[in-house]
Amino acid sequence: MKKSLLNLSLLLVLFLTLGFVPDNNESNYDFRLKNVDGKYVSLKDYPDAKGFIIIFTCNHCPFAKLYPPRFNDINTRYKKLGVPLIAISSSDTIIYSDDSYPKMVRKAKAGKYNFPYLYDNLQTVARNYDAQKTPHAYVIWKENGKWVVKYNGGIDDNGKHPELVTKHYLTDALDALLAGKEVALKETKSIGCKISFR
Amino acid sequence: MNIKNICVTLVAFIGLTNANAQYNPLKIPDTLSGTVFNLTVRDTFKQFLPGNQTITAGVNGDFWGPTLIFNQGDTVHINLQSELNDSTTMHWHGMHLPAVMDGGPHQVIPPGTLWQPYWKIDNKATTFWYHPHLHHHTEEQLSLGAGGMIIVRDAEEAALPLPRTYGVDDLPLALTSRKFDAFNAIDYTSSHYGDTMLVNGTLNPQVTLPKQFVRLRILNAEMERGYNLGFSDNRTFWVIGNDGGLLNAPVALTRVPIMVGERVEILVDLGADAIGSNVNLMAYNAGHPLGFPGAEPGTTGPFGSLLNNRNFNILNIVVGATTTGAITSLPATLVTNIYPTAADATLTRNLLVTDGTPGTAFRFDNTDFDLDNINHHVVKGTTEMWTVKNNNIFGHSFHIHDVQFKIVSRSSGAIAAYESGWKDSYYLKIGETVSFVAKFEDYADPLHPFMYHCHFAPHEDGGMMGQFTVEDPSQVPTIGSKGATFTLYPNPASTRLFFSFDDPSAKAYYVTVSNAIGRTLLMLPRPELKNGIDISNFPPGMYVVQLIDEKTKGTVTRKFVKE
Repeated sequence: MKKSLLNLSLLLVLFLTLGFVPDNNESNYDFRLKNVDGKYVSLKDYPDAKGFIIIFTCNHCPFAKLYPPRFNDINTRYKKLGVPLIAISSSDTIIYSDDSYPKMVRKAKAGKYNFPYLYDNLQTVARNYDAQKTPHAYVIWKENGKWVVKYNGGIDDNGKHPELVTKHYLTDALDALLAGKEVALKETKSIGCKISFR
Repeated sequence: MNIKNICVTLVAFIGLTNANAQYNPLKIPDTLSGTVFNLTVRDTFKQFLPGNQTITAGVNGDFWGPTLIFNQGDTVHINLQSELNDSTTMHWHGMHLPAVMDGGPHQVIPPGTLWQPYWKIDNKATTFWYHPHLHHHTEEQLSLGAGGMIIVRDAEEAALPLPRTYGVDDLPLALTSRKFDAFNAIDYTSSHYGDTMLVNGTLNPQVTLPKQFVRLRILNAEMERGYNLGFSDNRTFWVIGNDGGLLNAPVALTRVPIMVGERVEILVDLGADAIGSNVNLMAYNAGHPLGFPGAEPGTTGPFGSLLNNRNFNILNIVVGATTTGAITSLPATLVTNIYPTAADATLTRNLLVTDGTPGTAFRFDNTDFDLDNINHHVVKGTTEMWTVKNNNIFGHSFHIHDVQFKIVSRSSGAIAAYESGWKDSYYLKIGETVSFVAKFEDYADPLHPFMYHCHFAPHEDGGMMGQFTVEDPSQVPTIGSKGATFTLYPNPASTRLFFSFDDPSAKAYYVTVSNAIGRTLLMLPRPELKNGIDISNFPPGMYVVQLIDEKTKGTVTRKFVKE
């Protein structure tokens, strides 16, 4: 009797847990967020994409401010290969007014962003990805119809001086994936400002 | 390649060359002086090593903030804006000031908040410092570089023939060490001891000092390591000041130990050195007994470090030309201090260091630190003796807030002349009992306590801390009493918000202003409300003012609308 009760509660726990977990990985990594052009963006909008470069960043962080020209360059190179770059700001805009949606719009315009810059106002996407810092890069790839994280971490090994970069963590991962190879360095430390979760 | 790129590459190349060279020029922090001090603490980055930059937390800069110059008798107003991604606090270490301004673990500043403490400087001329004191997070935030030094000046010190040209013959030296991981990030989790020495945030520092007497204001800003200071040629130097003031007379030494949180002011005579010659300020840290922090033999693990149990270089000093107005002789006497004695104490408190066995944190008196539990109640005006017994397994750096005290006994032997002055922190050796006497003169406050703790960051974060209030028995608030009622005007308001108390004699003890969703924007301890408060930077919306009044300590809340 005791055992069956235990089994019953296990089943119940299992049922409750499953009830809240999305039925496949895809919906964990997909999202629908407002872009700086006012339109909503979702991974489903790119039916032909082989993968995505998802970068959590923000306006205010001094280290994140160093990277947008590189994001433009990476998007130019990899979008045409079927791997577009999408930037997401999951900053707590109550604390950081510099990260507000209107200021994101201004920043994207001033920086001539050639990639979507999305406003994760509830921070749910950053939580789903477990993003820690700004900037924090992810490469997701479609495997058997599901999105799988193939790389997570920093973009490269020099924020302030792009001309002194010796390790291109993100683009090395992309090049390997596009060549059908295994990513050698799947995870690095993301360097930047801590994302403050509400 | 355009000119800008060439310049960037050139600068970067020079930077790399310097980083690989033996020495880097010592950073002398900027000074801020006057009576209003604007400080912003934020997440930022600094180029420490070749390759990627290191994420840091800086006050008005990238690592280790400006030196604040306070004049005795002035009332200083601080505007401390936190742009960190975490809550913080800012403690004015060594300052005698109201507990509500002290910046201990109770004055938590949430991200995006402006905190405005103010107090009258009545400390004596010497060297103090400021640093975060957020419970459980002191080691993290201090490791990332949040903090800076304070120099107090007074008339008595100004009349003495001492070096005092900041950055020339009078230098602040904040000593600490860091461990960097493979990504050049500061690693404050794998060990409490760094592998690389930093002075004022400079790796392998070098400074040119004039051929004359120079004054070094040395702070141990470490997490845990102690330093046994001396010079590479074993020359004699003179200690002129302790944590809380100048000594009666200079004390000649060839070595002086300094534990975390302590300051020591020394005079060094470079008058007989040849111009262009070198001498190193050294840590003679090899061969100390167990209990000396940094004497551990290991290079790995939570107490491992490449600097452990070694003598190592702290600062390379190059002797330069004599300046005009040089100090060329040693003053025979300094100031006249009247210290309290053991006989002055009318009450003795005993503290015992407990726990700390592997897997447990050190504590006082077998008691967990609890922000809601006042461990000791001190009556205002009392001179007390505090006796701290350490029959335990390691040494500590004992620090108490609010007061400067006088050490009156050490069970290990006589009190050394170099620590015979005003102190707020001292080395509590393994197996030792130390007594000090302090007068708790003023600043009674039944709500906000002061701290006493081990200043080893992992020890205080772990709970080796207690708290005491200074209380005035004639002013006991009635618990549960209603606070002072008031109205806010104009409402709606646009630039300044004014307070009108129903009882005109009522005073504010603490005012906080939050927005409609409960985010704190302003923290105002004991604000002067007669000119209102500035709300001109607030976005339009509804705000909540919470006011604790001085007399009853009751809380009353009012709302206003910003136009």
